[in-house]
Amino acid sequence: MANDVTAVAESSPDSQPLTSPPDATTDSGVVIETRNLSKVYRDFWGRRKVNALKSLDIEVRKGEIFGLLGPNGSGKSTTIKLILGLLFPSSGRVLVFDKDASETQKNERIGYLPEESYLYKFLTAEETLDFYGRLFNMSGADRKRRVAELIQMVGLSGAKHRQLREYSKGMTRRVGLAQALINDPDLILLDEPTTGLDPIGTREMKDLILGLRDQGKTVLLCSHQLADVQDVCDRVAILHQGELKELGRVSDLLKVQDVTEVHASGLSDEAKNEIADVIRRHGGEVKSIDNPTATMEDLFLNIVRESEARPGARRVSSHPDEPAPGGHDGDASGDETPGNDSAGA
Amino acid sequence: MNLQPEDFWSFYEWLLRPEAFLESALLQGVVLIVLSIVVGLVFGYVISAARYGPSEGFYAVARAVRDLLRFDLPGTRLRRVMALARLAFKEAIRRKVLFVIGLFVVGLLLAGWFLDPNSSDPARLYISFVLTGTNYLVLALALFISAFSLPSDIESKRIYTIVTKPVRATEIVLGRMLGFIGVGTMILVPMGLVSYVFVTRGLRHTHVEVADVREVGDQLQGETDYVRSHSHEFTVDAEGQGITDVVRGHRHAVVRNADGGFTIGPPEGNLRARIPDYGDVVFYDRRGEEKEVGLNVGDEELSGGFRSSGISRVIGVTRGPKKLEHGYVEGGTLCAAVFTFDDVTPERFPDGIPLDLTIRAFRTHKGDIESTLRGSLALKHPGKDIETNPIVFEVNEYEVDERLLELEREGSDGDETRTLNVFEDLVDEDGRLQVVIRCVDRGQYLGVTKSSVYLRPGESSFRWNLTKAYISIWLQMTMVIAFGVMFSTFLSGPVAMIATAVCVLLGFSAEQIYDTRHYLDEGIDRGGGPIESVVRLLRQDSVTTELDVDALASKVIKTADAGIVYSLDAVATALPNLPKMVSTSEFAASGFDILGALLARHAAATLGYCLLAFLVSYFFLKSREIAA
Repeated sequence: MANDVTAVAESSPDSQPLTSPPDATTDSGVVIETRNLSKVYRDFWGRRKVNALKSLDIEVRKGEIFGLLGPNGSGKSTTIKLILGLLFPSSGRVLVFDKDASETQKNERIGYLPEESYLYKFLTAEETLDFYGRLFNMSGADRKRRVAELIQMVGLSGAKHRQLREYSKGMTRRVGLAQALINDPDLILLDEPTTGLDPIGTREMKDLILGLRDQGKTVLLCSHQLADVQDVCDRVAILHQGELKELGRVSDLLKVQDVTEVHASGLSDEAKNEIADVIRRHGGEVKSIDNPTATMEDLFLNIVRESEARPGARRVSSHPDEPAPGGHDGDASGDETPGNDSAGA
Repeated sequence: MNLQPEDFWSFYEWLLRPEAFLESALLQGVVLIVLSIVVGLVFGYVISAARYGPSEGFYAVARAVRDLLRFDLPGTRLRRVMALARLAFKEAIRRKVLFVIGLFVVGLLLAGWFLDPNSSDPARLYISFVLTGTNYLVLALALFISAFSLPSDIESKRIYTIVTKPVRATEIVLGRMLGFIGVGTMILVPMGLVSYVFVTRGLRHTHVEVADVREVGDQLQGETDYVRSHSHEFTVDAEGQGITDVVRGHRHAVVRNADGGFTIGPPEGNLRARIPDYGDVVFYDRRGEEKEVGLNVGDEELSGGFRSSGISRVIGVTRGPKKLEHGYVEGGTLCAAVFTFDDVTPERFPDGIPLDLTIRAFRTHKGDIESTLRGSLALKHPGKDIETNPIVFEVNEYEVDERLLELEREGSDGDETRTLNVFEDLVDEDGRLQVVIRCVDRGQYLGVTKSSVYLRPGESSFRWNLTKAYISIWLQMTMVIAFGVMFSTFLSGPVAMIATAVCVLLGFSAEQIYDTRHYLDEGIDRGGGPIESVVRLLRQDSVTTELDVDALASKVIKTADAGIVYSLDAVATALPNLPKMVSTSEFAASGFDILGALLARHAAATLGYCLLAFLVSYFFLKSREIAA
């Protein structure tokens, strides 16, 4: 497995994201449209305090996962709040399902997961979802069915009668997600959806977001977790200091046009040298020939999966530099690089 | 209990004031709501225009109005309102507001040590205490729960998950109000029950020993022992059943046992709800000429009673005092107060004319200090010179003198003296009967108002009366909650609470503010407005002297004071009449049935203020950036 290599050379084919998005352009329905959207925060006396958003023009199309990306204070959350009608634009407009963002009716088709799960801690998970179901004027039978489905989906069946104050952050986040989905929305807005989640929860969240898209839903998420955005988003808008800096498909934005990446396994050192020679012969420049590293997320997920399959057993490292098991107390070490058996294009 | 003219108005009279429409509650309510909406829209426009420009500002305001009428009111759903109400309810319960009930019970237990059951009117003391205690406790609670909830939701951002659902601003406001009203009701009901038990148990006593038993004919007469500062005399008939006399508003049943002993039952009749039937009163002066008001023995007409003048007073159409103080009749002259009662029929009063007196005494000289002042009453035909002989009574100012006048009485028919039958000789064809009150002691005065002398055709149940007193408290609570929720839509929790508390306090001190304006209008030196008062305090000047500063300073102070007082006056007029609502407890404490019309008026006013608070809350919530 140590022979797995990644060769990176200039001028390469596409590097694919985690999943392949549907061709959003073929589905021309625009779900969210911002026109010259600006937001200025003012103080009590109406004096200009900060320009949070400057002339934002974006369109989110039906069935895509759209990411709003940017550092803290870049205007991501402001944009989401403007879309939801929690803030009013200083100038410009937001249309959601062709309705003004200030109109309450649009909320019938929207699900929103705020950055923190702002829920009523004295309610149980079941009561919470029932409450939000009532806000959608759902009938008793519909609520009951939907609440049961969602509790099952977010994996809280065993804790549904406990008050949220007893929940961990991850569990609260799941309830938050469930309440965002109570109305089976067409558009889901997720503000930092993976905040506070452990790697498993993060992975589940990402799978769920992809699942939602597969059901034809539109997802707008904002995050500063770049990996999350890269993993799930079809298109992203990158904001900085309230301005739109970049907008496009993730695959296009991330594609390095003049670098080629080859993933192969089972190569000897000679073979690697030979490949390097071939590249040079064709006028290319070999940037690196190396064993790829997995992400910490993959490593962590593998460990957990293995632990669940063999409870109690300690994972054995295959890395030559790694101390033998028992080398240091209680530290579940291991560095079996997952994904080494994959052979990329 | 001294009732004011407005207390006698029927609901219809109060609502429309057919002869003085400017004083009508309906006009005041409509003007208040319209004014609030207009001021709100102008205010909203100014803010929006400052931020987004004149045309965008207008559009924003117009959109809020359109949304209310086109979407939010028609789109309001009971299920959502109730869901939000339940949430507010649960939240309040989680905040341990039920603790207030425990606090109240502890308060009662402590009060049990200090309330004196030996006082001259223990029923009034107990009832008044529980109702006042409940009233202020519940108002304070309403203030706290209503003012903090919405700001806390906004601050903690929990509101985000609500306003991003298809929830109308109307539903948020209604849900909060209903939820808190539910909480208040849940607290008020047990407090009422506990109060009832407290009052009945507090007043319960019995007499065990009897003394001085003697036979009078076939009856036995005797006296009970001395318990709680009183004893009773009793009479027992030949069958062993008897009753004591009425002392301190109650009596006891007495049964003679087979062994010759006596069993005295619990007190009866101390918890009452008299239903009075008031008449119209006119006065006659010393020369026997008819007057609308009686003699004035002091400060009767200087101030007060502006409450129900409403808009007419604010705009200066109605001036001068409106309050009905006692009119006095002088002893030894032709002075008299004549009450005319309607609908005096044998069907209503088959056994006699039940007449109650609560008359005030005013001594101009010491006179016979050993005895109380005496008055006389006589029944009179309204149109003819037929009148019974006067019945002399002793005036006891702080007790209701209950009488049952026999239907056959000696009297004069012109020059003839004969036995008069009330219904045949004294009641006219319209069913009217007059009662003439005079003062017997020369040079002394008796004071009466319309409510001092009344017929008592029946009684209501004390429990129902107490319930009505609690309904009045409930209405006040509802009003405070509506104001609390209203302020909490645009102010932070503590500020909203203070704003609501200021409204309550201004409402309570409205009468004093009206008085101050009255003094300013009439040029009466009573210390002036707030600034002048401070100046007088610092200079240690009397309130009745001219303000002793130079002319310019005086002008400035008085002008500024006028501005403040007139503004306060307008605000106080716009606020709910809380003292009037609180005073319903006086009915229950005094043993009078709370007038249905009065309660209906309070209910209508509460509804009106809730509507006002609802509209204001809606516009504030709608125009507010929740996430700002």
